[in-house]
Amino acid sequence: MSAALHIEWIKLVRSRLWWITVLAITVGAAAGGLFMFISLHPLKARDLGLLGAKAQLATLEPTWPSYYGLLAQTVAIGGFLIFGMVVLWMFGREFADHTAKDLLALPTSRTTIVIAKFAIAAAWCLVLTIFLFTLGTALGTVLGIPGFGLRVCASGAGRVVATAALTMALVTVLGLAASIGRGYLAAVGVLFAVLFTAQIVAALGYGPWFAFSVPAMHAGITGDQDRPTAFGYATVALVAGICVSATARWWQRADHAN
Amino acid sequence: MQTSPTPVVAVRELVKHYGAVRAVDGVDFTVTAGEIYALLGLNGAGKTTTIRMLLSMISPTSGSVSLFGEPVTPTARHLWSKVGYLVETPAAYPELTVRQNIAVMARLKRMPAHTVDTTVERLGLTPYADRRSRELSLGNQQRLGLAKALLGQPALLILDEPANGLDPAGVTEIRQLLKDLAAAGAAILLSSHILAEVAKLATRIGIIHHGKMITEIAASDLALHARRRLEIGSRDQRAAARILAEAGYPPQPAGQLLALTADDAVTSPDRIATVLVAAGCPPTHLAIREDDLETVFLRLTRQETHP
Repeated sequence: MSAALHIEWIKLVRSRLWWITVLAITVGAAAGGLFMFISLHPLKARDLGLLGAKAQLATLEPTWPSYYGLLAQTVAIGGFLIFGMVVLWMFGREFADHTAKDLLALPTSRTTIVIAKFAIAAAWCLVLTIFLFTLGTALGTVLGIPGFGLRVCASGAGRVVATAALTMALVTVLGLAASIGRGYLAAVGVLFAVLFTAQIVAALGYGPWFAFSVPAMHAGITGDQDRPTAFGYATVALVAGICVSATARWWQRADHAN
Repeated sequence: MQTSPTPVVAVRELVKHYGAVRAVDGVDFTVTAGEIYALLGLNGAGKTTTIRMLLSMISPTSGSVSLFGEPVTPTARHLWSKVGYLVETPAAYPELTVRQNIAVMARLKRMPAHTVDTTVERLGLTPYADRRSRELSLGNQQRLGLAKALLGQPALLILDEPANGLDPAGVTEIRQLLKDLAAAGAAILLSSHILAEVAKLATRIGIIHHGKMITEIAASDLALHARRRLEIGSRDQRAAARILAEAGYPPQPAGQLLALTADDAVTSPDRIATVLVAAGCPPTHLAIREDDLETVFLRLTRQETHP
């Protein structure tokens, strides 16, 4: 397993993906900071025009819990796109670059390679999450959000990391889609389908029970009182379990004819 | 490396159907240690599908494949430490250098680190070792693919079109390298549609067509399958044809010339010349021609299509 993990890590850090995802998550943190600036300084924000007016409508409180909630929502929505990109690249590139065939008849098993891909994807997503939290906290400090303390920071970190873990669990579906679709395209289709479906299901009021709506609800996008059900959390674990095992099984059993 | 009485590769009644398409339709062959066995066939004949089944990339519809006496299954991964392969076009991670690509494969194959430099040198890739693989020429990409296959000197090498993209010097170099490996006891299975190359490299050839093994021949016997014919030209070809037919040598048209394939005509062209001279139609051209390898191959495959 260590060889497969090392190889996947090398492939990731030598690619363009790492800085693209760092850039994307930086934009997420900057957007959170911008909204917090608007909340902290509504008069100055009014000078921003339409953006300022919309930020006022969001009724964002200028507090650390509110700010960390915003970062958690960034992880839930933007993270699905960014983490999803990591997973679909890790699997899809093997087909786009025609390197998948070189991974099929090796002393290192196909299942090990699949698990290593998911593990490194998860590790990189965790790095991105920590980066987002650290950068967000630094921005919040610079902006002068009142009431910072160890407890509020730990609580915020727990919320952001838990949301990231839920999101990471769900993007495993993109590893399966990129494998079955033998490339990026099918996985990109699934990515958008999942995002749209999660919005619609949440709007219909079934979000607490629907796996793909759970991370955003956990982050507090629908308010702190409206949290996912235990069943909702269980479906997230179920989706991850099914997708990881189905991906491993597909690599093991499918006909790799091209 | 010791030779073993058990074939390194044993393929029995191998079949792969995709719906109504019979990609491979009952192929049998064996490859022993020290042998270079070539699967020869046109594009789409079933060579690559057979190779993919050998490597457990595709499950056979029926039949069996064993390597080193053990059945090939998706979980029999211990077999792969003894196998190097290159299937279809070579592929590499474009953002990694040549050395890094080989190092990645060495780690996955659980080879010691020093094998990377040895292999880089062996395949003549030292000048390109620190170049990203996306910057390589087609020939050097092929060398990189071969380098990954040759890592650790495997007991079985499976190479799909190994000479693809190589320049003439590269082809000669790789041919010698493969011959040296076989001489050291490795079994080599390769596929190709270039008969001339196969004839220079292989010890045995299996001709595969429409998914079926048409025939297996020793490369040294390939010349025996080449037909010879006597080509005849004269100032009046119609008269010459009539004279030869009356003498018991009915000719076949061969472009502007006439051709005789009967053994006694081919072995005694002087007798044919005498017949024509005596009938007042002396030959202006008399030559013995032998099929080239491509003609032999095309005739063998055509016989299968139109028996």
